Amino acid sequence: MENTGKINLEEIRIQGLLDRYLNRQSAASGLSTQENHLDDDSLTAFVEGNLSERESKPIVSHLVDCSFCRHVTAELVRLDLAFADEQVQTVVEENQPSRISEVLSGLLAKIFGTGDSAVFAHHEAEEKSENRTEEKKEEK
Amino acid sequence: MITEAGTQQPDLLNECEPVMEEIFTRCNENAPNFGVRLECFKESLQKTARKYILNSTEEVSAAELSDFLRQIQAEDLFLALACANGSERAWWEFDQQHRSYLERVARHLASTDIDAQEVVDTVYVELYGTRVVDGARVSKFSTYSGRGSLRGWLRTVIWHSLVDLHRASHDEVSLDEMTENVGEGFAHASFAEAPQGGEAEMIEQISKQRYKKATVSAIETAFANLDTHEKLLLLYYHVENLKLREIARMVESQSSPLRDWFQRKSPTREKNPESRIHESTIMRWLEKSYTKVLQLFRTELRAKHELREDEIEICMELATQDLAGRNLYQNLTTT
Repeated sequence: MENTGKINLEEIRIQGLLDRYLNRQSAASGLSTQENHLDDDSLTAFVEGNLSERESKPIVSHLVDCSFCRHVTAELVRLDLAFADEQVQTVVEENQPSRISEVLSGLLAKIFGTGDSAVFAHHEAEEKSENRTEEKKEEK
Repeated sequence: MITEAGTQQPDLLNECEPVMEEIFTRCNENAPNFGVRLECFKESLQKTARKYILNSTEEVSAAELSDFLRQIQAEDLFLALACANGSERAWWEFDQQHRSYLERVARHLASTDIDAQEVVDTVYVELYGTRVVDGARVSKFSTYSGRGSLRGWLRTVIWHSLVDLHRASHDEVSLDEMTENVGEGFAHASFAEAPQGGEAEMIEQISKQRYKKATVSAIETAFANLDTHEKLLLLYYHVENLKLREIARMVESQSSPLRDWFQRKSPTREKNPESRIHESTIMRWLEKSYTKVLQLFRTELRAKHELREDEIEICMELATQDLAGRNLYQNLTTT
């Protein structure tokens, strides 16, 4: 705050004018000014600063014009900062790999009520086929 | 040299096949039981290259494409591809590495634990994929390109899912209100509201019609004449209310396009190109942008509207009478 005295008065005025102009423009256009929004992949790559100048040119232009995508990137930056101190946790427990089938089946059943039969039908088919083969072997 | 987009692609991609194979070999050695085939991996790398670097009319050299391929988050892409292909081992690995993180992100963003859990469940289902096209299951993982980190991509997926969840439960809520209720946007709900003392009041403040028109037109032109990088920086600061610290975070990566653009304009870059970006640096970038806007604003009033210096002063005074509240330095106190 001690620097405030050094600020050129004209610059303070232009900041204020610009602030009001930009906010008025944004409020007038709302969030959905564009139909084709950036996908999750491009948004992430931009926010992480992974794109070269060549790659980012169309994205920067889009963000200037599209308040929705710009708002998403701003939110993602805040989120990134909030989790900046997160340690990458790679706890590797020697569980049975098949556990994930149960996890997903449970989720699907909870959400759609058809989890096991719909999504893991291919597993069941394979299992049934294997069972049938085994049965045939036993019969022989 | 400018070429027609796409004409150089097949040859270039063929030329870079050894690089793709080298990356695949490394990934496959680290996770041999994911069952990802070389062809599938190469296809995915080619898709990423077409999306980000081979889509323009500018010529790309084989060396540039090789560098690009080496920058891809290959291990993350390998895991994502294996999960998309339904590898049980890969899913188990993904669950171990990322589930708790997804849950923490969802809890951070959602208003209730129930919402957070619902979002995580929905994202898992999307990632696995329930839609079948031409006999093949379509997994959300297939849209991940490896250009950003998998964790960053998952954060974005969670954020969008929460917005969708909110939209589904609030049919009549506008998109503006909806995004304001997700995450930090809630604390910055004023971003899309008409600011206090909006245009009507601003117009009232300007007594003379001629000065009012000139002022509005000049600030519009001044902003329009900035480079897109300067515009984006100003929009992040003034409209999205990003703090200097948050903008600094965004340009932390040395390859950040915003950082690269602003540093190219700075003489200090040559001395210390790898220096960390501090909030004071962002403040300097903003100051330079304000100076440029001011110059363009004055030039426009003088040249196009033919105003004298004393009239320009009237424009500035009338337009900014009640604007003393916010200035560039206020956010420094919060960091």
